Amino acid sequence: MLRNYFKIAFRNLQKNKAFSFINILGLSVGMACCMLILLYVQNEISYDKHHTRAEDMYRVGTTFVTTDQTKNMPYTPAPMAFTLKADFPEVEQATRVFVPFNEDKAIFKLAENGKVSKSFYESKGYMADSTFFDLFSYKFIEGVPHTALNEPNSVVVSEEIAQKLFGNQSALNKIVHIASSNGNIDFKITGVFRPDKLSTIDGRFFMSLSSGEMGAYVRSARNFAFNNMFYTFIRLQPGSNPQALEKKLTAFINKYAGADMKAAGFKKKQFLEAVSDLHLKSEDNGQMAGKGSISYVYLLTSIAIFTLLIACINFMNLSTARSGKRAAEVGIRKVVGAEKAMLISQFLGESLLLSILGLVIASVLVFLFLPVFNQLASTSIHIEVSQHVFTFLGFIALAIITGLIAGSYPAFYLASFQPIKVLKGKFTNTLAAVNLRRGLVIFQFSISIILILASLVVWKQMNYLKDQSLGFKQAQQVVIPLRTKTTKSSYEALKTEIQKNSQVVSAAAAGSYPGIFSARDQNFYTDGKTGAESVNVKLNDVDYNFIETLGFKVISGRPFSKNFAADTNSRIVLNEKAVAAFGYTPENVIGKRLHFDWNNEVFDYEIIGVVKDFHYEGLQQSIGRFGFLLDRNQNYNYMVVNVNTSSMESMLQFMETQWKKFNPEEPFEYTFMDQDFQRNYDTEQRMGTIVSYFTFIAIFISCLGLYGLATFTAEQRIKEIGIRKVLGASITNIVQLLSKDFLKLVLIALLIAGPIAWYAMNEWLQKFAYRIEIQWWMFAIAGCMALLIAFLTVSFQAVKAALINPVKSLKTE
Amino acid sequence: MLLQLNKVFKWYDSKAGRTFILRDVNFDVQEGEFISIMGPSGSGKSTLLHILGMMDEPSEGEYYFIEQPVHKIREKQRSELYKKYIGFVFQAYHLIDELTVYENIETPLLYHGMKSSERQSLVADILDRFHMVGKKDLFPSQLSGGQQQLVGIARAIITKPKLILADEPTGNLNSKQGEEIMDLFKQLNQEGVTIIQVTHSEKNAAYGSRIINLFDGRIEG
Repeated sequence: MLRNYFKIAFRNLQKNKAFSFINILGLSVGMACCMLILLYVQNEISYDKHHTRAEDMYRVGTTFVTTDQTKNMPYTPAPMAFTLKADFPEVEQATRVFVPFNEDKAIFKLAENGKVSKSFYESKGYMADSTFFDLFSYKFIEGVPHTALNEPNSVVVSEEIAQKLFGNQSALNKIVHIASSNGNIDFKITGVFRPDKLSTIDGRFFMSLSSGEMGAYVRSARNFAFNNMFYTFIRLQPGSNPQALEKKLTAFINKYAGADMKAAGFKKKQFLEAVSDLHLKSEDNGQMAGKGSISYVYLLTSIAIFTLLIACINFMNLSTARSGKRAAEVGIRKVVGAEKAMLISQFLGESLLLSILGLVIASVLVFLFLPVFNQLASTSIHIEVSQHVFTFLGFIALAIITGLIAGSYPAFYLASFQPIKVLKGKFTNTLAAVNLRRGLVIFQFSISIILILASLVVWKQMNYLKDQSLGFKQAQQVVIPLRTKTTKSSYEALKTEIQKNSQVVSAAAAGSYPGIFSARDQNFYTDGKTGAESVNVKLNDVDYNFIETLGFKVISGRPFSKNFAADTNSRIVLNEKAVAAFGYTPENVIGKRLHFDWNNEVFDYEIIGVVKDFHYEGLQQSIGRFGFLLDRNQNYNYMVVNVNTSSMESMLQFMETQWKKFNPEEPFEYTFMDQDFQRNYDTEQRMGTIVSYFTFIAIFISCLGLYGLATFTAEQRIKEIGIRKVLGASITNIVQLLSKDFLKLVLIALLIAGPIAWYAMNEWLQKFAYRIEIQWWMFAIAGCMALLIAFLTVSFQAVKAALINPVKSLKTE
Repeated sequence: MLLQLNKVFKWYDSKAGRTFILRDVNFDVQEGEFISIMGPSGSGKSTLLHILGMMDEPSEGEYYFIEQPVHKIREKQRSELYKKYIGFVFQAYHLIDELTVYENIETPLLYHGMKSSERQSLVADILDRFHMVGKKDLFPSQLSGGQQQLVGIARAIITKPKLILADEPTGNLNSKQGEEIMDLFKQLNQEGVTIIQVTHSEKNAAYGSRIINLFDGRIEG
């Protein structure tokens, strides 16, 4: 029986090459999309699932509550972790991780015979407690995880770094010099790990938290209110209730930090986030691995499902449209004794066969396009048979489900034919089937139009973001990171040398610059108020001419100046938002004072200037309160050089030469401020690109189906066309006749898709504080595109049908 | 008695009113008969044949097949009855274009749930009998009309039915081919198979043992 079905199915495929091609191509492309997305989703949800007892692990986060805002952050103060462990029996183990702020890289130096033999920058250097590898499972290829970070100045490095340093030799117990803002320290390598699993804690080397200046600070830190800059991870006893613990943490933090918080005018609450949820569900992972987004996972999944659905619809439509041809077979089979159930299983079997063929082709497509997809989604998915057993089962399940969905309607439809009717040749498509087919075409095109509109809106919004004035000069700004003590101390000299170049407009330095993450902030209050009425202001510690170098517009008062000796001491420049928050105007704020209390001491700042509001974060965020302080200690993280040159290359060469004069052992690195700012939109940009690719695929598959239907219609109406031509219809008339029906469907699709797309994209735009309005012309463009594509697809067949000599077509009847 | 029709009516309702296809049809068929149904176009011959073949239901009246009340029993039982006892032969042969001669003949056996080895021997027997062994791997389009009808008959009798219903089996054939087919029916009838054929041709009708004349849905004479 099965063999008979397979034979029929194969022969049918062979006989109707065009339809088979459309169906198999559509299904395999749709399935390939689904498979890629399945791999992507699996990749996304695999984060931090591999740790031993991952289900009991949590990160302690902090909610900061001030008079006018509530903010969640992943940071806690230093003493938090082990006090939690001491105070709560259900906390079995705790560990802290510190990720240096504004310091993306540290320099590794390897000394042999007293000379530096190797020197390179490494990113993602985290500091962690000795308990870190007790909580988190890393695959060690050298060393012992549990004791690796016991001693100060010990470091665990990734296999890649070990190889860079020592090639294939063992790295264990070797000494490496790591220079960073934490000091210049000789570390002993106590472990080498292979990062074979995805984790939010994506460190490439882990230094003992008891090392260097940070080690000294951590040992002495007792304050629970301030310096929230450590990640605290805890593991609970099996079966403990995290919600119950979370509730107890309010009393806990009030006990240790209550007095300090009251004086400083804010409150804190602690919350727990499951470690395995950090990647997709956490609001903020700070400086750690780029966050995934559960909403993008949903978005991609639904796009993949819709793409596959479009392909299934093609199959349904073409199968039912062509059912006339299969009707006779159904009739005969019924007459020779087939029951409905047998026929249903036969037709389902056929669609299964088709989907399994599709699966094979889709697998090849996935294999071919995985690198492209990895690049688009910036993932590093690779298929390993051992790791993806369930994925493969999933793919097979996908093929079966696809076959069943695509085949179900045609199977029931075909199997229900009455033999006497079809054998008498009275077969006609029922109105219900025709209407369903129309409905499905509308559905397909609705999805395509929604995707076109989405791509259009994303594209417009991205352009809008790029074109927005940020409130400062972002072009021709070269940013040079000052990572180590050596480079920081050489800054003044380097600046002097670089400014000698006539193409350099000016150079300055600061703790951070617009567009990158900065954690620095402070709560201030004005004269006559108390700490409890403080207002939070983001801060940047800058050099004298930083404000001028970046071209911030001073609208009142003055920027910092060497002419005013007292500027180094307690003077501040605010933006408009901050001025307003303190209840002043830019004119009357000059000379007013801001205060904050710390350790029972009151600190004062005099307001000397106001700058126009500018964007210091991506345009997702609205502008908040911002202030500039002069950095007394000159502990800058970045040098910014504003140049005016037509040859950036030679300018960079010049800078490198100067850099090498002062920092011979450290590589010269730079970025451009405008590019750094654009990086805030990486996720959106990436999603926009992916959506536009899928849009293309969805439209392509829809058109395949439409083409098939048009072919069929033209075939079916060949006699009508012949008669009309004999009666004097022109080719244009005929093309019109054949295209009109389809175009009507696309128009209806536009009506359906419009509101849905408008709603969805409006939701998406809400993520941006600064955004475009969705305009009617976007709908017009999307509609015209869909119509044009549909028309081109249909008219090809229509023209072909219209050109046929009527004598021929009438004879065939 | 093989089958019996009692007061069978068949009609269609439309806006123009009720159109009768069959009116008060009564007749009995004994096992082993060879009956020809004749009548002008539109007299209800085919409808009668379809009702006999259980592919259509009477609007009113009773139909007994081997003592079973077909008009009362459920669809499932009816198709069992039909599958077991009735074979159909069509004017337009109605072979499955995508299957070979062998596979076309084999198809009913598949629906009877027969084992592969049994199927093989049955199909081989019939191919042998109809001298079509050499053509078993050809597709219907590669055969002449007479050969196609031969395959159609082979397919109808392979399940060893008690009754063969033939709807103008020679209507698309030339006279020589037609004669061969009618000879075959005669032969089958002699082997004990009951045959009811619809035909326009007096000559073909003469092969049968009894003629039923239908006019405007009524049996005449």
